[in-house]
Amino acid sequence: MCTRLLQQCRTCHRSTENMSGNSLVLPIVLWGRTAPTHCISSLLVMDDFTCIITGCHDGQICIWDMTPDLEISPRAMLFGHTASITCLAKASSCSDKQYIVSASESGEMCLWDVSDGRCIEFTKLACAHTGIQFYQFTLGTQREGRLLCYGHYPEILVLDATSLEVLYSLVSKISPDWISSMSIIRSHRTQEDTVVAVSVTGILKVWIITQEANRMQDLDPLFEEESKPIYCGGCQSISFCTFTQLSLLVVCSKYWRVFDAGDYSLLCSVPSESDQAWTGGDFIAADKVIIWTEDGCSYIYKLPASCLPASEHFRTDVGKTAEGSIPPLVYSIADRTDKQLLICPPVTRFFYGRREPFHKLLVQGDSAGRLSLWSIPDTSPLQPLSTAAELQVSSTTSLQDAFDKLSPLSAGIIDQLSVIPGSDEPIKVTASVYIPSQGRLVCGREDGSIVLVPATQTAIVQLLQGEHMLRRGWPPHRTLRGHRNKVTCLLYPHQVSPRYDQRSLVSGGVDFSVIIWDIFTGEMKHIFCVHGGEITQLLVPPENCSTRVQHCVCSVASDHSVGLLSLRERKCIMLASRHLFPIQVIKWRPCDDYLVVGCSDGSVYVWQMDTGALDRCVMGITAVEILNACDEVVPAAVDALSHPAVNLKQAMTRRSLAALKNMATHKLQTLATNLLAADNADKGNLQKYSNTSLVVQAMKTNLTDPDMHVLFFDVESVIIQLLTEEAQRPNPTVVSPETLQKAQGAADKGGSYLANKIFKQVKETMKETIKEHLLDEDDEEEDELRRREEKSKSLSLLEYNLTMDTAKLFMSCLHAWGLNGPLDEVCLSRLGMLKPHCPISFGLISRGGHMSLMLPTFKESLLRQLAQSTGRKLSLSEIVGKGTYGVSRAVTTQHLLSVISLANTLMGMTNATFVGEHMKKAPVRPPRPGTPETPKKTAAAPQVSSPAVQGQIKQGWSQLAAMHCVMLPDLLGLDKFRPPLLEMLARRWQDRCLEVREAAQALLLAELRRIGQSGRKDTIDLWAPYLPQYVDQVSSPGASTDPAPPAPLLNRFPWKPRPSVQRR
Amino acid sequence: MLNQQRSLSEIPKMSGASQAERAVLEEEFNWLLKEEVHAVLKQLQDILKEASRRFSMPTPGLESQLKQENFILGSSTMDQVKGVLTLQGEALTQADITLKTAKSNQVMHFAFREEKQWKLQQIQDARNHVNQALHLLSSRDESYRFKTGAEVNKLMDAVMLQLTRARNRLTTPASMTLPELATSSLMKMFSPPMPGDIMVNLYINLSKLCLTIYHIHAMQPNTTKNFRPSGSSVLHNPGAMFEMNNAKFEVSHMQKVECVVPWLNDTLVFFTISLQLCQQLKDKIAVFSSFWNYRPF
Repeated sequence: MCTRLLQQCRTCHRSTENMSGNSLVLPIVLWGRTAPTHCISSLLVMDDFTCIITGCHDGQICIWDMTPDLEISPRAMLFGHTASITCLAKASSCSDKQYIVSASESGEMCLWDVSDGRCIEFTKLACAHTGIQFYQFTLGTQREGRLLCYGHYPEILVLDATSLEVLYSLVSKISPDWISSMSIIRSHRTQEDTVVAVSVTGILKVWIITQEANRMQDLDPLFEEESKPIYCGGCQSISFCTFTQLSLLVVCSKYWRVFDAGDYSLLCSVPSESDQAWTGGDFIAADKVIIWTEDGCSYIYKLPASCLPASEHFRTDVGKTAEGSIPPLVYSIADRTDKQLLICPPVTRFFYGRREPFHKLLVQGDSAGRLSLWSIPDTSPLQPLSTAAELQVSSTTSLQDAFDKLSPLSAGIIDQLSVIPGSDEPIKVTASVYIPSQGRLVCGREDGSIVLVPATQTAIVQLLQGEHMLRRGWPPHRTLRGHRNKVTCLLYPHQVSPRYDQRSLVSGGVDFSVIIWDIFTGEMKHIFCVHGGEITQLLVPPENCSTRVQHCVCSVASDHSVGLLSLRERKCIMLASRHLFPIQVIKWRPCDDYLVVGCSDGSVYVWQMDTGALDRCVMGITAVEILNACDEVVPAAVDALSHPAVNLKQAMTRRSLAALKNMATHKLQTLATNLLAADNADKGNLQKYSNTSLVVQAMKTNLTDPDMHVLFFDVESVIIQLLTEEAQRPNPTVVSPETLQKAQGAADKGGSYLANKIFKQVKETMKETIKEHLLDEDDEEEDELRRREEKSKSLSLLEYNLTMDTAKLFMSCLHAWGLNGPLDEVCLSRLGMLKPHCPISFGLISRGGHMSLMLPTFKESLLRQLAQSTGRKLSLSEIVGKGTYGVSRAVTTQHLLSVISLANTLMGMTNATFVGEHMKKAPVRPPRPGTPETPKKTAAAPQVSSPAVQGQIKQGWSQLAAMHCVMLPDLLGLDKFRPPLLEMLARRWQDRCLEVREAAQALLLAELRRIGQSGRKDTIDLWAPYLPQYVDQVSSPGASTDPAPPAPLLNRFPWKPRPSVQRR
Repeated sequence: MLNQQRSLSEIPKMSGASQAERAVLEEEFNWLLKEEVHAVLKQLQDILKEASRRFSMPTPGLESQLKQENFILGSSTMDQVKGVLTLQGEALTQADITLKTAKSNQVMHFAFREEKQWKLQQIQDARNHVNQALHLLSSRDESYRFKTGAEVNKLMDAVMLQLTRARNRLTTPASMTLPELATSSLMKMFSPPMPGDIMVNLYINLSKLCLTIYHIHAMQPNTTKNFRPSGSSVLHNPGAMFEMNNAKFEVSHMQKVECVVPWLNDTLVFFTISLQLCQQLKDKIAVFSSFWNYRPF
C-alpha cells in the first residue's frame, strides 16, 4: 500500500509541468453581486495573525486579511482543487515567505504562496489526507520543512514541504489502522521530537523522529516506539500542552481526557453533558482547556489539580478508573443567536499567537461562508464560577456581508441589462457561453431569457468610465425568450466543431426543455421536450461518430437521462434513461457506436447509439477499464459533469491546449493551389486561432450559484492580432502576388516566430478569399440564407473592431492612473483609454491551471494596508489602476510585462488610438463564406490622420511604456509598489513573442538598475548555488578574491537577444 | 415513489401554480423533511449497522477473540494451485499454498511464517468508511429538525461519499506494477521463501478473496522481442514484461484462484442498497428544489 502511494506520487510529480504557466494570460474577474458559495470545511490562521485561510466543500480556498484589532476582509480566492478541501496547514516557517499547503478529498495537494495566491507546487496521491502538520527540523545550519500527513491510510507520510515529495513514512507494527489525529511534541531537553497519534480504534502510537530519521531519505519505514490502547474510540483531536509541555488533551465525541505526556497515563476524563458531541479542543493556558462541539458551541474549563504539573496533587488520580466529575466551567461561547440556516456543522479551531499582539483566538467558519472570531481573555471573569460567563464574539463577517458593504457594488457582466423595475437585484445569469469568433457573450438568465451581447462592450460598461454611462441599455444586444424558467446550460456547437451550422445555439432549462435558436435572426427553431428533469449539461459528440450522431447534441438531465438530439432532423434519436444515479461523465466509443455513461456511484452504462439498446451495465474494475479505454481512443471527448471546479480546470487546460495546437498546426508549404486543398478542419482552427486574444469564461463555485465571469486576456494573442490587422491594412481587398511576396520577404528577413505567424495568417486569409471567389456559385441554399440574413439585418448587433476594443479594455485596466497628470490626459483624449470605475479584480494563473482571483473586497484590505504604511486614510479613487501594483511581486511582473509589450506594439502601428471612426467597424478583412456580416462593397480607405496626430499618438504610447518600465517605483513609492520578480523576467528573456521578450528585457534591466549594487550582489548570492558548475572552471584567478562588480557584468551578458532564432 | 414521479412531471407547468397548489406542495415538503427523511435515515442506520457488524471491529487487546474462517481457494478446471487461507477480521492469519509446476510436476508447499499475518487493507478501509458513514448518520437523530433541503443533501453527499469509497475499496483492488509486486512485503511472508521465479498477490475483488500466482522467467539479453514494460494493473497476463535490478523478466504463466467470502457479499449488497436509498432521498428533495427556487418574473 505504502509503496504504491509513493510510486504514484512520484509519477504524478514528474508530469506536472504545464504550459499554462508559459503564456502570458491575465484574468480579470466580474464577480457580480452574489458572493460565491463558501461552505467552510477547514481553516487556518497564519502564525503572524495577518491572514486567515479557509477551504470549502467545493474545493476553493479563500484568503482573508486580518488587522491587529481583528477586523477581517476577504482578499482572494484560489482555484485548482476539484474536490472538498480536507485540511490546510502552513508549509514554511519564515515570515517573509508565507506558504500553505492544502489537501482535497480526491488526494490532490497544493502548495500556495499566501501573498499572491500563486501555486508553487502540486501533486496527487492515491489517498485522501484528513490532516497535515508542518514540522521543521534543523540539520546543522540548514532548516528544512516537513509535512506530516495522515488520513484514509494506516501510515503517517512524511513529505518534503517544498517539493511535496514523499520522503518516508511512519508505520505501525502493532494493529495498524487509520490515524484519526496527531500531534507533534517538541522537547527542549532532548534533541528528539515525538509524534503522538491516535488510531481510529483508539490506540495511542508514539514515533520518535530523531535527527537520524530526518536524514533518512530512502523509503525505509520508521516503526512506532510505543503502542498503547487508551480506549478513545472516535477520537476527534489530540493536542499537546505547549505551556507546561507535560500533558496531552484527547477529545472524543462523548468525553475528553487529559494524559501525562511522559508515560501517557490518564489524568482525568470528563464526559459530555446531555447529548453534545465534542469535535475538538486545545489548551489555552497551563490550567485551562477549550472544548468545542459539533453545533458550534465552545466551553472553557479549568483543569482539576490532578492534571496540573505545578500542583502538588499532580497525578494523584492516576489509576482510578471512575470518570471524574465535570470541572468548573470558566466561559461558555454559544453559537450565534442570529444563526442563519446552516447546512452542515461549522468548523472551529483555536490559534495562539506566539508574537505580538499574542492573541488567543477561537475561529469558527460555517456553511454560509461566515467567519467568527472570539478573542479569549487570559483572566477569568470576576463572578463566581458556578455560572459560566458568556464570551461575546469579537468580530464576524461573511463573504456575502463583505460583498454587500462594497460601494460601488461588485459588477456582474450584464448587470446594466438585467435591471428589473422595482427591484435593485439584477436578474442573475445562470449559464453563459462565449463565441470567440464573433466576440459575443451569450448569457442565459434565471427568468428564462437569453441575452446576446458584445463581450468587450459590456465589460467596458462594467469596468470603465465613459460616455457609455449615459446611454441606457448599452451596448446593443439581443434577447431570446422561450424558456419558462431558469436557463441552466448553453452550447454553441459550431465553436466545438465546424460541422454544425454557425447559426445554431442550443439552450437547456429547468423547464426540462432544450431549445435550438438561430442567433442571427433570433428565431426559435425547435423545442425538444424529451427529458423528465432539469437539463444539466449539453455536449457535442466527437468527430468520428456516425453522420447521424454528428449532427446531434448530447443532453444530460437531472432525472439521470441522456439524450441525443438531432439538430438536423429536429428529433431525439436516442434517450438513455435507466440510470439509477446522477450522471457524472459521458464518454464515447465512436468506432463501436457506443455512448458510455459513467454514474456517480461508479457504475458504467454502455449504450448503442444507433439502436438505443443498453449493451452493458458494469461496476468495479471493468467499469474503470471501460472508461479508461475511451480515453485512449479520443482523449478530448471527456466531459466531467459532476463538479463545476472540474469543468473549470478542464476548460482552462483545454483552452491553452487549443491555442497551442493552433499555433503549431498552421504549416503551409505551398501557395495558392495548395491553399485550396486544405480541409475544413483547418478553417475551423483558423477562426478559433484568430480570436483567442480574449476568452470570457463563466464560472461558478457551486451549482446553485449564479455565473461569475472571468475575462482571460492572452497578451501574445492580442499582439499577434494587432500586428495582423496592421499588416492587412495597406490593401485589404486585393490579394496580389506582390503583397504575398512582400509578406514572404518580411518573414525571411525578420525571421521571427511572430512574423512567420502573421505571414501564415495573411496566407490563410488569402486562402479564404480565393476560395470564395472560386466557389462563388455556391449552392442555392447558401444564397437564400444570405438573403434572409440581409432581411433581418435590422436585428443584427453592432459592428465593432474586436481587437482594438480588447486592447482598449485591457490597457485601460492595466494603466497606473493618477501618477502622471499630463500622461493621463493624453491617455484619455488622444489614445482613447478610459479610467476604471474602481480598482479592478485581477487574477493570477500559475502552474497546472491553478488560479488565484482577487475578490472585489481586496481593495478594502489594500486601503487598510496602505493607510497603515502611509499613515493616512486613502479613498478608493486614489488607488484606481495603480493599486494592483502593490499587491504582490508576481502580479506586478505580469502586469508590467503586459502593459509595456502592448504599448510598444501599439506604438508601431498606424492610427493606434481607441477613439475615432475606425473603432466602429469590424476589422477590414474579406468576409468568410457564411459569415453574418454582409460582404463589404468597398473597403473604406484606411483613415490615416495627419502625421502630427500620428506622432502624438506614438509619443503617448512611448510615454506610457516608459512610465511603467522605469518610473513606477519612484512615482508610487516603495510602500505601494511591489517590484517585479527577477526570475520571472529572466525566464522571458528569450520569450517566443518578440514584443514580450523586449518588454521583459527592458524591465529586467530597469529593475537591476533600481536595486543597485547591493541588490544585485544579493541576487547573485541567491542564484549562485543554482548556476551550472562550468562557470567555476573558466573563472579567472582574480575572481576568487572578490566577486566581480555586478554592473559591468550586466554589460557582458553573453546572451544578447537574437530575434532570428526560433525557440519552441 | 409513484406519487413523487407524478409531481416531477408537473413542475414545468407550474409557473402559474395556484395558491392552493403551493400550499399543498409546501405541506408535502414539510412532511418530507420532518417524517420521511428521518425514516430513511433510520433505515440507513439499520442497514449500515448490519454491514458494520459483518466487519467485526476488533477491540484493542482482544484481537484473538475474533472469529477465524477458513477459505479454500481453487478452481474446478485446474488443480495446479490450491490455497487454504484463514481470515480473522481484516487479516489473513494463516496461509497454505500448494503449487504444482507444469513442467516437473513437482509439488511445492508454502505457508505464512510463524507469527506473521497479512492485513487486507481493502477490508480495513471499507470498514472504516462504513463506520464514518454511521458516525455521520448518528449525529442527526430523531430529535433533530431538518430545516432545508440543502441540509439533507449535504448530509447525503457526505454519507454517499463514504459509502462509495467503502464499496470501491472492495470492488476495485489496487493495481500494481510487476516490480511493485516483486518487492512487496507479501513475498517475504512465506516459509519456505518463494523461489525467484514465482510472485504472489492476494487481494479482494468484489466479494471474492483472490490469489494470483505469476511464474516469471528472465528474458535473454539478446532477445529479438521488443521490450515493453507493462504498467500497473490488477491482473497481468502472460507476456507482460518488467525490469528489475537491471534484469528483464517476462510473465510466462499466470494462475488465479478465488473463493467467495459470504459476509463480504452481504456488505456489498448493504452498500448498494444504502447508496440507492440515499440517492432516492436526494431525488425526492430535488423534486421540490425547482419549486423552492422558483422566482416569478
